[in-house]
Amino acid sequence: MTEVVFPSLSTDNVQAEGVVATWFVTDGEHVEADQLLAEVQVDKVAGEVPAPVAGTVHLLVAEDTAVVQGAPIARIDQ
Amino acid sequence: MTTIQSPVDATPLSGHRLTTSKAMVEGVELEMDRDPSVVYLGEDVGAYGGIFSSTAGLLDRFGPTRIIDTPISETGFIGLATGAAVEGMRPIVELMFADFMVVCLDQIYNHMAKIHDESGGHVTVPMVVTTAVGGGYSDGAQHSQCLWGTFAHLPGMKVVVPSNPYDAKGLIISAIRDDNPVVYMFHKGVMGLPWMVKNPRATADVPAGDDTVPIGKANVVREGSGVTVVTVSLSVHRALEVADTLAADGIDTEVIDLRSLVPLDRETILRSVGKTGHLVVVDEDYLSFGLSGEIAATVTDVDPGMLRAPVARVANPDTPIPYSRPLEYAILPRQDRIEAAIRRTVSR
Repeated sequence: MTEVVFPSLSTDNVQAEGVVATWFVTDGEHVEADQLLAEVQVDKVAGEVPAPVAGTVHLLVAEDTAVVQGAPIARIDQ
Repeated sequence: MTTIQSPVDATPLSGHRLTTSKAMVEGVELEMDRDPSVVYLGEDVGAYGGIFSSTAGLLDRFGPTRIIDTPISETGFIGLATGAAVEGMRPIVELMFADFMVVCLDQIYNHMAKIHDESGGHVTVPMVVTTAVGGGYSDGAQHSQCLWGTFAHLPGMKVVVPSNPYDAKGLIISAIRDDNPVVYMFHKGVMGLPWMVKNPRATADVPAGDDTVPIGKANVVREGSGVTVVTVSLSVHRALEVADTLAADGIDTEVIDLRSLVPLDRETILRSVGKTGHLVVVDEDYLSFGLSGEIAATVTDVDPGMLRAPVARVANPDTPIPYSRPLEYAILPRQDRIEAAIRRTVSR
């Protein structure tokens, strides 16, 4: 099992909150390594979240809910 | 003007989900990979990735000789792109907001759009002007206009307006390959940007390959028999939403996404109005002297007898776009005004 965490977009505030703006995959879908999973956002800065490994992805947070940087947003079972 | 591309099968074999902005970038990336004469220049297109994410990641991929940040000097860099195109390159030049056309219209209209005809057809100008359009997010009167009617009014340029990820990718590829100047107008509200109003229709499957969308071909995005709505860009999404609402009341709405204003697919409009007898045009540009009048004339020039009711036009009134959110919403062709216009039209 591999955790996918919310990337660190704000270096000034490591505890900054952001949101998953868009999930490009659905819960339980098979993903390839490096496939684009989500676009996340802190303030007006957006970042991409690629899959670290291939496997079955489980989404842990819904779009538009607040998440602290570094918190897990998905899990990939290999 | 000539059209170099022909319609292709639009069914994706394998795809992946992207936002409209990412789909546009993917199209640019594929063409830059394929053709070394393609470059992208404009304000904040490099490290920033375009203020509406039209070039995100391209600087890392292609470097500063092909992804070129320019000074705030639209006349200078659009002239630069025109010269490069005349000399055989295929530049894409970004005009950050369509509103800024007025500071560089001499380059756009007196040079880019005229050189081909002035040369007796000997010189081609294969370039793309990409530009952000549209309101709805309180950016004020000088950053919220669509102005596609103004571009389309001036001969010598093709004008394309994608409303979704699939068309954004397919049309940018077609635009880059076209030997004519093409103005590619993307509404900020269809790009799927995290910081704009959430728009589920701005994320969709696109084919992985370099599938093109033909320039000059409208898309019937919803079939219906009772009334035709002709529209473009973000208003397509609003019209589709309204069509779903009205279906519950037995009003069967056909929605046409024009996708290209120049050339305009008049045949698709006529075929639809011939079937429904009712026409509503939704245009997020100014009402007078623009797209909505052109669409109405497209029908009446051929056969006014097709219409069983007068044409309804839902457009921005002829006034600058307000900054105040309630006032801005009041003038934009939003769902409430579209729904009222359709109900009024079909009841006549």
